[in-house]
Amino acid sequence: MSGREALVLPLVDDPVTAPFWTGARERRVALQRCLRCAYVRWPPARVCPECLAEETRWETVQGRGTIWSFAVYVRALHPAFADDVPYTVAAVELDAGPLMIGRLDEAPSWEPAIGDRVEPAFEDVTPDVTLVRFRVIA
Amino acid sequence: MTEVATPVGGRAAIVGVGETRQGEHPGLTGDDLAVDAAKAALADAGIDKDEVDGLVTCLTLDGQGTDLAIGRLLGLNPAYSATLTYGTCNFSIHLAAMAIMSGMARTVLLTYGANQRTGRVDVTRGPARADFTEPHGLVHIAGPAALAFRRHQHLYGTTEEQLGSIAVAQRAFARMNPLAIFRGPLALEDYLAAPYLVAPLRRPDVTMISDGGVAIVMTAGDRAHDHPNAPARLLGMAQTASLRESQNPDNYLRPWLRPVADRVFAAAGVERVDVDVAFFQDPTSVWVLQMLEHYGFCGPGEAGPFVAEGRTGPGGQLPVNTNGGQLSESYMWGWLHVCEAVRQLRGDCGPRQVPGARVALHASTGAFFKGAATILGRDD
Repeated sequence: MSGREALVLPLVDDPVTAPFWTGARERRVALQRCLRCAYVRWPPARVCPECLAEETRWETVQGRGTIWSFAVYVRALHPAFADDVPYTVAAVELDAGPLMIGRLDEAPSWEPAIGDRVEPAFEDVTPDVTLVRFRVIA
Repeated sequence: MTEVATPVGGRAAIVGVGETRQGEHPGLTGDDLAVDAAKAALADAGIDKDEVDGLVTCLTLDGQGTDLAIGRLLGLNPAYSATLTYGTCNFSIHLAAMAIMSGMARTVLLTYGANQRTGRVDVTRGPARADFTEPHGLVHIAGPAALAFRRHQHLYGTTEEQLGSIAVAQRAFARMNPLAIFRGPLALEDYLAAPYLVAPLRRPDVTMISDGGVAIVMTAGDRAHDHPNAPARLLGMAQTASLRESQNPDNYLRPWLRPVADRVFAAAGVERVDVDVAFFQDPTSVWVLQMLEHYGFCGPGEAGPFVAEGRTGPGGQLPVNTNGGQLSESYMWGWLHVCEAVRQLRGDCGPRQVPGARVALHASTGAFFKGAATILGRDD
């Protein structure tokens, strides 16, 4: 990626979402489950959008899922990603429920397809920020 | 049929439209362009600004366009004023119509101006924090649109050639529109030869970034004929909000637009076959593809063949975006679509005129969280 100031980075110290980013740094996919209605809140939320309860529990999931769709950025539409093109962004239906966006790792002699099974991979973008990516399950 | 409690039923009408030249306006702010467009719309309506007692403005991506700023520049002290942050024109029209129907205003000026091209405004990132999408590089509306189109291909076998038919049809109209920025020829072969921007989308599938201003004058139905040009009456209007966004299943496909279609046709008391000309707000061609299906002009998954058969182009059974749309005319958040709809109903569109157009549909969206539609009709 380009110079650090050009990066598009998430806020990792927001108390509502921090457990997800902590999990990613530790090579885990952590999701937030509502203790009242069991709904998985994605993106994470202080109050459950399903039942409006606050009580919650963070769970580490396997993070596997199925490609719902993907887009291949041939041109960098934001300067932060100028050094990355071409890159592929996938929308993945996690087995745990939510639709999660993430980069799709390149694999030799493999063309991604909707319906492919993927598992999480992790990329340390800065010492504080680790992004969850996906790679096809061989 | 969907029931609508109290439809607008012609109790508000568009009696003036105006715009600036589209393209680049170095040295002018978005507010300046909104003001210049307002002057043009007032002239078209044949009224002085003192007859305006309502003002609805539209916030730009970089925070211009508040009613406070525009009202001061235009020297207005209206009875009612407001600014919409997602003012893609339909929402603004609905707000003005509600102000008129409630009696809070009689004659409302709506205006939008942007200098997003010369101002080099970052259009790639949304207004809200997007920690779980943008850091992965999912920036610019072209990315989500590419996700949506590839999914459509997967579900229905839609081809890139079919998608390309949309940009090609709209360019054919734009070539007959002096206001349009892109007026060069665009054949399907040209489209297919264009490089990918975000595969499977190519450059012609995505709007340009442009400067310009657009304005509209609306008034109460009983005053609709007090103006020089034939009124375009609001026969029906409807909205929906999908504020849970990605929590909704298949949100990129926007299935939640279908109820808007049912409500707007019920409100207007017209059928789909009555629509003479349709306008779909089109930051990308994928929006047109989706809305042809959601608004019921073809069945689910049938929009690809529908557009490839030329049905939405010049001479087609359902001419769509006869101004060229945002793909070819200018990126004005759907506002110019409404000007074109009004001019089609007036019969003022010259070589691209849809003969005898009496009913126009304008359908728009706020990205992946809002939808709105208006049906306009002439009186005679």
